[in-house]
Amino acid sequence: MADMIKKNASDLNTDFRIEVSEKVGAKSLLKCIQCGVCSSGCTVTEYVDMQPHRVVASCLLGLREEVLSSQAIWTCSLCHRCTERCPKNVDYSFILALLRNIATKEGKVPEEYSETINVIFNNGFVNPYTGGLKDNIDKRRARMGLPQIVPPNIEEIQAIIKETGLGNLIKEESDK
Amino acid sequence: MEYALYLGCNIPLKKPQLEVAFREVASIMGMTFKEMDGASCCPDPVATQSLSVDTWMTIAARNLAIAEKMGLDIMTICSGCYETLKTTQVLLEEDENQLKKVNSVLSKIGYEYKGTVKVYNFVEVFSQDDMLEKIKSLIKRSLEGLNIAIHYGCHLVRPSKIMRFDHPEKPTKMDAIVEAMGAKSVPFAAKLECCGFCARLQEEIGFKLVEEKMTELKGLEVDVDALITVCPACTDQYDRKERTISRKTGKELDIPIIYLAELMAIAFGVDETKLGLNTRAVKPNKLMEKLKA
Repeated sequence: MADMIKKNASDLNTDFRIEVSEKVGAKSLLKCIQCGVCSSGCTVTEYVDMQPHRVVASCLLGLREEVLSSQAIWTCSLCHRCTERCPKNVDYSFILALLRNIATKEGKVPEEYSETINVIFNNGFVNPYTGGLKDNIDKRRARMGLPQIVPPNIEEIQAIIKETGLGNLIKEESDK
Repeated sequence: MEYALYLGCNIPLKKPQLEVAFREVASIMGMTFKEMDGASCCPDPVATQSLSVDTWMTIAARNLAIAEKMGLDIMTICSGCYETLKTTQVLLEEDENQLKKVNSVLSKIGYEYKGTVKVYNFVEVFSQDDMLEKIKSLIKRSLEGLNIAIHYGCHLVRPSKIMRFDHPEKPTKMDAIVEAMGAKSVPFAAKLECCGFCARLQEEIGFKLVEEKMTELKGLEVDVDALITVCPACTDQYDRKERTISRKTGKELDIPIIYLAELMAIAFGVDETKLGLNTRAVKPNKLMEKLKA
């Protein structure tokens, strides 16, 4: 559990709840009644430094830094039980995605996550599909009687990733 | 009815044996598909959505636009792809501003998504009443006598306001398919628990969830012949981790993990050598012997 946080009212970022709830699908944030149903059904509740209802309370209070640097926002297993069971229809699992988006913009992103977008940037798929690996996959599929994969035009995928703001997570390809 | 077949990444690139099983079963059932040439990663609902919802939905909308141009609805065979594409479909139907935002990026690469595609999962189609009758009529090898544990996984059923697939806490569609083939679907407490694959940062979460579910199944009064999945990630998670846990703890966790289309292929009498069930860490030898007996 998180240590007790002591803050002056003037240190709270009271716009944070607006920043989060303005995004598509997240208006429900403001309706939380702190009943705790999300935390009681949460798959990872015993592994997080801040339980779901506390993350929501912290957003509403304006504890921006504490939320964005918590390990809790990245530990979720995306089981969606919180969203399913909330009596006020707070879409916690989607709000969590938005919190991760904000943390990402501020450079607070775990390597495991930024690595995935690099793989997609370079392959169009979430698994490597270039060079010798591609040849092996293609041969295996042919042996199994499966149709040839027609991959996406990689430049289109790369353009989307850059246009939607994730270009800064892409590592320069040193071997090119 | 014809669909645009969306394969994703994990199945076609890493577990093509699941694709073989699905194509065999769908073709026996008389379904036809067109391949989605040029489709990309859905993209994955864990990392990509976490980094940027806009990136996630725009790449997904590009895939939806490919099917829209083909004039077909999408059939998915992986729960992660189903979640990404269905969520994008539903949210873009409901949010005109988001659709505009997505299209402003897509227009730069020569695409437009008009919002007319529907996204399905194969369980959704196979569990319709007439399809269940068809399944019964196509059985070559009844699964009578088998005790089957079913794993729905999270993304198929939740959040129900988006997925609109089945009851979010007591789904029945996979049960209906398994029982149409003559097997018994075994009730158990952890049936709706997450496999833990998506809890990326702490693998111990996955180990705990797998150990709890498999231990419960081994402790039931009946012998469970297989755990049935519909997602390549869940399949891998249970298959690999139950062997590791057995080695570490001395527990005998040895229930084979079988993808639903593979179980259907067995019941439809598809040649076993085509299916590649022996690539699993836990091989379903006992189950196959039981069916031959």
